[in-house]
Amino acid sequence: MIGALIAPTGGSITVDGTPVWSPSSNMGATPHRTPKPPASVGYVFQKDTVFPWRTVRRNIALGLEYRGVPAAERDERVREAIALAGLDGFEEAFPATLSGGMRQRVALMRTLVVNPEILLMDEPFGALDTHTKINLHAELLRLWGARHQTVVFVTHDLSEAITLADRVIVMTRRPGRIKMIHPVKLPRPRDVIKLRESDAYGAEYSTIWHVLGEEFAEHATAGGRGGP
Amino acid sequence: MSERAKIYVWRLLILVALLGSWEYLTGIKAISRTPGLYWIDPFFISRPSLIVQRFMFLASGEVRLNIWQMALSTVQSTLLGFVVGVSTGFVAGLVLGRNDRLARIFEPYIVAFNSLPRIALVPLITMIFGFGLAAKVVLAWTIVFFIVFFNTFQGARSVDADLIHSARFLGAGERQIMRTVIIPSALAWTFASLTPSISFALIGVVVGEFLGGESGGGLGFLIIQSLGTLNAADMMVALLALGVIGIVMALGIKQLEQRLLRWRPEYRKAA
Repeated sequence: MIGALIAPTGGSITVDGTPVWSPSSNMGATPHRTPKPPASVGYVFQKDTVFPWRTVRRNIALGLEYRGVPAAERDERVREAIALAGLDGFEEAFPATLSGGMRQRVALMRTLVVNPEILLMDEPFGALDTHTKINLHAELLRLWGARHQTVVFVTHDLSEAITLADRVIVMTRRPGRIKMIHPVKLPRPRDVIKLRESDAYGAEYSTIWHVLGEEFAEHATAGGRGGP
Repeated sequence: MSERAKIYVWRLLILVALLGSWEYLTGIKAISRTPGLYWIDPFFISRPSLIVQRFMFLASGEVRLNIWQMALSTVQSTLLGFVVGVSTGFVAGLVLGRNDRLARIFEPYIVAFNSLPRIALVPLITMIFGFGLAAKVVLAWTIVFFIVFFNTFQGARSVDADLIHSARFLGAGERQIMRTVIIPSALAWTFASLTPSISFALIGVVVGEFLGGESGGGLGFLIIQSLGTLNAADMMVALLALGVIGIVMALGIKQLEQRLLRWRPEYRKAA
């Protein structure tokens, strides 16, 4: 809804004062005709949405191309993004040759390179193995540390939520309503490995876990919210 | 000997055995007198030595219309029909694939026209376009258009919605989505239709030439002329030439496909 992908059943949504959905705009919306997503919002999908026919470099350049950023500046920003994500040497590789973790890294950089103020992430690391996931957590925290965007991160993985978020929002089973909003009081910057060994982490985990357990849900969803 | 070499040797052996028995058996009069085997006779299936002889003759300057001119005419019409068919089929597939209402309006007409055996159109096309190049190209076009159209249509419809969403989040407008998401994704489907398209273009052209007479030229004309004069050797020359043309064109398409679809994993190894 924030990204104008689906219409709310009621009410309006504004991003920085600009309406995304208002009661009047909802009327004409169909699954094929949704309003343009707000320019300040970036979205990282659960599924791998890297364009398979474009190389890593040209995938990351997409957003800048669409926005008409001049080629020289585009190349410079793409180069920085590639270096930041540790994708050096893979600039001209096609996605089919990359691992799942690297592809998701490309998708993340592709979104970040246009400097969104709000980053929506829908289980972006859900399909990855634990090792890759933890590396990407560290990376996301590092990248976030530089710009402090607002991140709305949906996950089924409680450890992931606690590692990343300032606030964890627990949703109920269908119908999904907010069950609890829990501030995570772990200091930043966080070290993804050491954090999990700390007692404070354990305390946060068991508190939220208890609430999740109440839901008896096979597919409990934890919504984590990071940012200022 | 390597596996590759072994395969080549076997292929060569089979070729030699086929040509050898063809040449040898058609030289024995007694076989063609056996009931049921009458066709093993140079009159019906010619023989390799005769074919080579006729080829040399047809390739020389002594004939009014030599084999090179005929092959050129066939290739030219095929490529022209192919290019026109692919480009129109691609555009139509893309437009209808992304516009539900248009697709629904045109559906019965497309299905009806496509169910029509194209061969049945030959006399009509000849009546309208005469006996020359145009008739052959139009015939090839009516076949190729539909092959490419249906593939592109399917491709344009099955574009991953999440790719379109990602493009919109990155700031793409409708035209940019068309250019950077829908066309590249549909192209993979279009390419899959190119190899059959070139073969069908060739079929269309040859059929057109059957009826086209000398002004249309081409190898199809040579075949029909040989039927008129009961000249099996000339017919074989034309068939072999068509075979070579078909293979060369199919290989050309394969090359193009491999270059343009090099992002797909299944093409990477081959490239």
